[in-house]
Amino acid sequence: MQEKANEMIKIFIDKEPVEAEQGTTVLKAAERAGIHIPHLCYHPAFPPEGSCRMCLVEIEGFPKLELACSTVVKDEMKISAKSERVVKARKAVLEFLLAEHPLDCPICDKAGDCKLQDYYDEYGLFESQFKEAKEKREKKLKIGKSLILDQERCVLCTRCVRFLKEVTTTQDLGVFHRGVHSSVNIYEGAAVENNYSGNLAEICPVGAITDEDFRFKTRSWFLKEGESICPLCSRGCNILIEYHPGFPRFEVPKRVYRIKARENPEVNDFWVCDRGRYGYSYLDEHRADKIIMNKIEGENVLTWENISEYLGEKIKRLSSAKKTSGIALILHTWLSNEELFLLHKIFKDDLKVEKIFFADLPQGEADGYLLTSETSPNRRGAQEIGFDIKPVDLDALASGTDFLLAFGPFLSGLFSPKDLKAALNTVKRKVLFSSYTHELNSLFDIVLPVALIAEKEGSLTNVEGKVQGFQPALEPPGESLPEWKVLSDLGKELGIDSKFYSELPSPEAILIEMGKKIPFFKKKND
Amino acid sequence: MIKALRYFIEIIRGSFITGRHFASNFFFRCLKVLGIKTKRKGAETIQYPEQRKEIASRHRSLHRLMTRPDGKPRCVACMLCVTVCPSECIYVEAAEDPDPEIQKYPAKFIIDLSRCCFCGFCVEACPEDAIRMDTGNVELAEYSQDDMIYDLDKLIR
Amino acid sequence: MTETLYETLIIFIKIVCALVWLLACTLYLTWLERKESALIQDRVGANRASIFGIRIIGLFQPFADAIKMIFKEDFVPSFSRKFLHTMAPFISFFFVAITITAIPFGDTLRIGNRTIHLQILDFNVGLLFILAMLSLGIYGIIISGWASNNKYALIGGMRGAAQVISYEVALGLSLIGLIMVYPSLRLSSIVLYQGELLFGFLPKWGIFLQPLGFVVFLLAALAETKRAPFDLPEGESEIIGFFTEYSGLKWGLFMMVDFMEVIIVSTLLTTLFFGGWQVPWLASDGFHFPWGGELLLSHVVVVLLQVAAFNIKVFFFCWLQILIRWTYPRFRYDQLMDFGWKLLVPLSLVNIIGTGIIMTL
Ligand code: SF4
Ligand code: SF4
Ligand code: SF4
Ligand code: SF4
Ligand code: FES
Repeated sequence: MQEKANEMIKIFIDKEPVEAEQGTTVLKAAERAGIHIPHLCYHPAFPPEGSCRMCLVEIEGFPKLELACSTVVKDEMKISAKSERVVKARKAVLEFLLAEHPLDCPICDKAGDCKLQDYYDEYGLFESQFKEAKEKREKKLKIGKSLILDQERCVLCTRCVRFLKEVTTTQDLGVFHRGVHSSVNIYEGAAVENNYSGNLAEICPVGAITDEDFRFKTRSWFLKEGESICPLCSRGCNILIEYHPGFPRFEVPKRVYRIKARENPEVNDFWVCDRGRYGYSYLDEHRADKIIMNKIEGENVLTWENISEYLGEKIKRLSSAKKTSGIALILHTWLSNEELFLLHKIFKDDLKVEKIFFADLPQGEADGYLLTSETSPNRRGAQEIGFDIKPVDLDALASGTDFLLAFGPFLSGLFSPKDLKAALNTVKRKVLFSSYTHELNSLFDIVLPVALIAEKEGSLTNVEGKVQGFQPALEPPGESLPEWKVLSDLGKELGIDSKFYSELPSPEAILIEMGKKIPFFKKKND
Repeated sequence: MIKALRYFIEIIRGSFITGRHFASNFFFRCLKVLGIKTKRKGAETIQYPEQRKEIASRHRSLHRLMTRPDGKPRCVACMLCVTVCPSECIYVEAAEDPDPEIQKYPAKFIIDLSRCCFCGFCVEACPEDAIRMDTGNVELAEYSQDDMIYDLDKLIR
Repeated sequence: MTETLYETLIIFIKIVCALVWLLACTLYLTWLERKESALIQDRVGANRASIFGIRIIGLFQPFADAIKMIFKEDFVPSFSRKFLHTMAPFISFFFVAITITAIPFGDTLRIGNRTIHLQILDFNVGLLFILAMLSLGIYGIIISGWASNNKYALIGGMRGAAQVISYEVALGLSLIGLIMVYPSLRLSSIVLYQGELLFGFLPKWGIFLQPLGFVVFLLAALAETKRAPFDLPEGESEIIGFFTEYSGLKWGLFMMVDFMEVIIVSTLLTTLFFGGWQVPWLASDGFHFPWGGELLLSHVVVVLLQVAAFNIKVFFFCWLQILIRWTYPRFRYDQLMDFGWKLLVPLSLVNIIGTGIIMTL
C-alpha cells in the first residue's frame, strides 16, 4: 500500500526548507517534516475530502488561503502554517464549528483525545458570540452493535461515511439533509453491522460516535498505552492496549479498557476487527497469579527460581534411563516463535521426544479482510520451526507417558472432562503452564502461571509469514513469568547442549540464533 | 565588644518583653478570676467547644455534592475532580443515565477524607458546580479510617 | 534508748517532709510552667481538668497528667538493654532527689528542750555533696541513651553528657569565690554567715558579695537543668534526644527529674546567694531594723517567717527559670560549647582572682 518513492522536491514551510515527495499534499509533506497542521476531516487512509476547513494555510502566490489536505506540493512552494492570517482563519473556522457544538466535554468520552478540544485550546479560546439557543438534535442514537451517535457533537467530517464506503464497502451511514440541518445517520431499518464497526469510534475526530464498550468506563487521560500484537487470529494486527495503571487508594475494576489499532500499512493499515477490539477480556479475567502445587513429593516448595531445576531433574532421570518416549508435550500456538523454537530444540532435537501434540482453539470463520479463520496467532511460526502440528491424541497420551508438559488452557475445550481426566490420570507426572485459573488446573500436579503475549517479549509469524516482534505492554499479574525464561533455564539444566542455551539471555538473542538455524527466520531479521 | 554588649542588652530586653506580657496578662486574668469585668481579656484563647470561631465564607470545609431540582446529583461523573485531586482521594464510577440530556451520572462517588488535604482543587475543577466545600463542618474526627470514606449518601446533603 | 528512738523518728519525719515538699513542688511546677507560659504567650493555659465539674483554674491538671502517664503503655523496645533501660530513669531520679538532704529549710526549731535542725543532714561538705550528686545524675542520661540501643538516643545522651560535664566546670568554679568569702562548705553555716550585715544595713547575701559568681552560677545551673535554651540533649521536636525510646511513667520520671532540677537549682541559688531562710534584719528574737527600732516576735513566728522566706525565694527562682525557658530560643551546639568554655569558665576564673584580690586588700 506504500506509494513508490517519488522524486523529492524542496518546499518551504514557515521559511524552513522541507523535503517533499512529488505529488504529495502539503499536509502530508508537513506531517512528514514533523509539522502539525490542524485537520479534522483528513485521514491518511482516505483521499482528501476538504469539508472541515481546519487545515487552511497560506501559500505564496495564491490570493486566498488554501486547504493543506488537498493542495498538491510544487517545487519551491512557500507555505506558512502559522501566520497571523492562518491563525485568524482557523479561529473563525473553529467558531463556526463550535456554534452548533454542545458543551459536552465533561460527559464526552472523546475528551482528552478530541481534536476539536485540542484545537480550541490551541487556536480558539474565544467567547461565544451566539445569543441564539443551539440546534437540538439526536443525542443518543444507537447506530450499530455497540456504537452510539450524538448528532450534536458531529462536525460532519464524513470520515465515518468514507470508512464505510471505502474500507468495509457497506455504506451504512450517510449525511442527510442540507445546510445547518445536515446530519449523519443510518438508513432506515439498517444499522452498522460489520466486523469493523469499532473503528468508527476510533476515527471519529470528535466524540460524536462513542463505543458502548468503553462508554463512561473511565476517562481517556487516565489510561496508559502499550504496543502489542493482537493474538486473536493469525493476521497479527498491530494494536495499542490502553490500560489503567490504577489509583493508590482505590481499586479499578479492570486493567485493560480498550484496544486501538496501531498503524501498520503492511498488515492492518489503520484498522482492527471487532473481535480483536472487544475481545480483550482474556487479558484480565480468571488470570492465574500463583504457582499451584497440587501434588509434589517431599517438602519441596516450588518457586520460579527452582522450577527448572525440578523439571530438569525429572526429565534427566527419564532420559538417562533411555525412556524419553515416556515424555509427552502438549503445545499451543499462542507461544512466540522463540518459545516454540526452544521447545523444538529441547524436546525434539535434544531429547528426541515423539509425543508432541498441539491443542488450540477450534478454527473460526474468516471475514475476507483482516480476520483469518485461524484463531491462534502463531501456527505459521510453529510450522516454519519444524513442528508437525498434530492434534492431541488421548489414547497415545495415555499409553506409557511418565511425564507430561502441557501449555495453555485450550485442552479442556477439546475433550469431555471425563475422557480428559481418565487420560491424564494414567500420566505419572504432569505440569501445566497456563495463564488462567481453570478447572483444568486441578488435573495437573503443578500449574505455573505464565504471561500472555501482551505481557512478554518475543515475535510471532503471521499467516502471511511476516515475523513481527513485540514488547511487553503490561506487567504480568502476580507471579506470572514468560515461558521462554523457564525454557532456556531448563535447556541449561538438562546439560545436553548447555553452552547453546547459556548464550540466549533474551528473546532477541534467541531470534538471532533461530535465524542461523532456520533460513525462514533469517531474512526476517534484517 | 560593643556589639557583644548590644546583644547582651537585647537578651535582657527579651526577658522584659516576656515579663511584661506575663505581668499584664497575670493582672487581667486575676481580675477575671475575681469576677471583675475589664475590656482587656488577658488572653486571646477561644474556649473551643463552647465558643466557636466564625468560619470565613471562603473556608474549605467538608465537601458536599449539589443536587438537581429533582434530587439527583448534579455531578456528571466527568472525573475532573478525580484528575485534579493531588491526594488522589476521589473515586468516581460513572453510569449511563436514561435521560439523553444528562447521559452520565455517578454510580459511585467516594472521597477518602483521611487522604484529603482540603486544597479545594476539586471544587475549582468541577465544570458543573456539583461539588462544594461550604458545609462549615470542620470536625471530621472518626474512630476508624473506614468512617472517613464518604460515599454518595454521605456527600449529598 | 528513747532518746535514739526520738532522734530516728525526727530524722524520719524530716525525710518524709522534705520529700513530700519536693514532689509536691515538682507536681505544681508543671502547672506553674503551663500557666506561666500561657500568660507569656497571651493564652489561658491548662484549665479544663476538673473534678465534678470544678475546675479552679486548672489546679487538677497535674493529677490528670500523672494519671495519664501511669496508664500509658510502658513500652520497652525489644532491641534495648532491658535492665539498664529500666534503671536509667531511676538513677536520674535518685541523684536529684537525694540532694534535698543537704538543703537547710530553716534555722532550728525548739520544741520543749529539743532543738531540731530544719535540714535532714547537716554535712560539713554539703556543697560538695550537692555538686557531686548533680554530676552523678548524668549517668542516668548516658545509660538511657546507651540502653535504648538507638543511635539517635545515644547521640542525644552523648550531647547531654558533654553539655553537663562542660557546665559542671563553670558551676564548680563559680562557687569557689563564694567559699572564699564564707569559709565553709557546710550549707547551714553559709546561710548563717549571710545573716550578718554589711555596712550595718545590707545583709551579707551572696548576691552582694559575689555578683559575678551569681551570674555565672545561674547560667551554668540553667544549663545543668537541660531546659531551653539549653535543651539540646532532648531537643523534643527537632533533634531526637536521649529519652526517645521511653514512654509512660519512665518518661514521666525523666520529665520530673527536669522539674526537680529546677527546684534544686532554685534552692541552691536561694541558699548560696539569697540568704537561704534568712529574712533581712530578722534575728532569732525578732526584727532589729538598721534605722533603729525593734519588733520582737515569738520563736514559732520567727521560724515560720524563715521557712516562708525560704519558700518564697525558691518560688521566685522557679518563676525566673520558667520565664527564661519561655523567652529564649535554643542554642546551637557550638554556641553552647563556646558559651560554656569561652565565657563562663573565664568569667568564673576572673571572679576567683577578683575575690582574692579584694579579700587581701
Ligand atoms: S467532541 Fe470534543 S469538543 Fe465536543 S464535547 Fe466531546 S470532547 Fe468536547
Ligand atoms: S460522526 Fe464523527 S466521523 Fe462521522 S461525520 Fe460526524 S464527526 Fe465525522
Ligand atoms: S479538597 Fe483537594 S485533596 Fe480534598 S478531595 Fe478535593 S481535590 Fe482532593
Ligand atoms: S468534577 Fe464535578 S461533575 Fe465532574 S465528577 Fe467531579 S463532582 Fe462530578
Ligand atoms: S482537513 Fe483539510 S478540510 Fe478538513
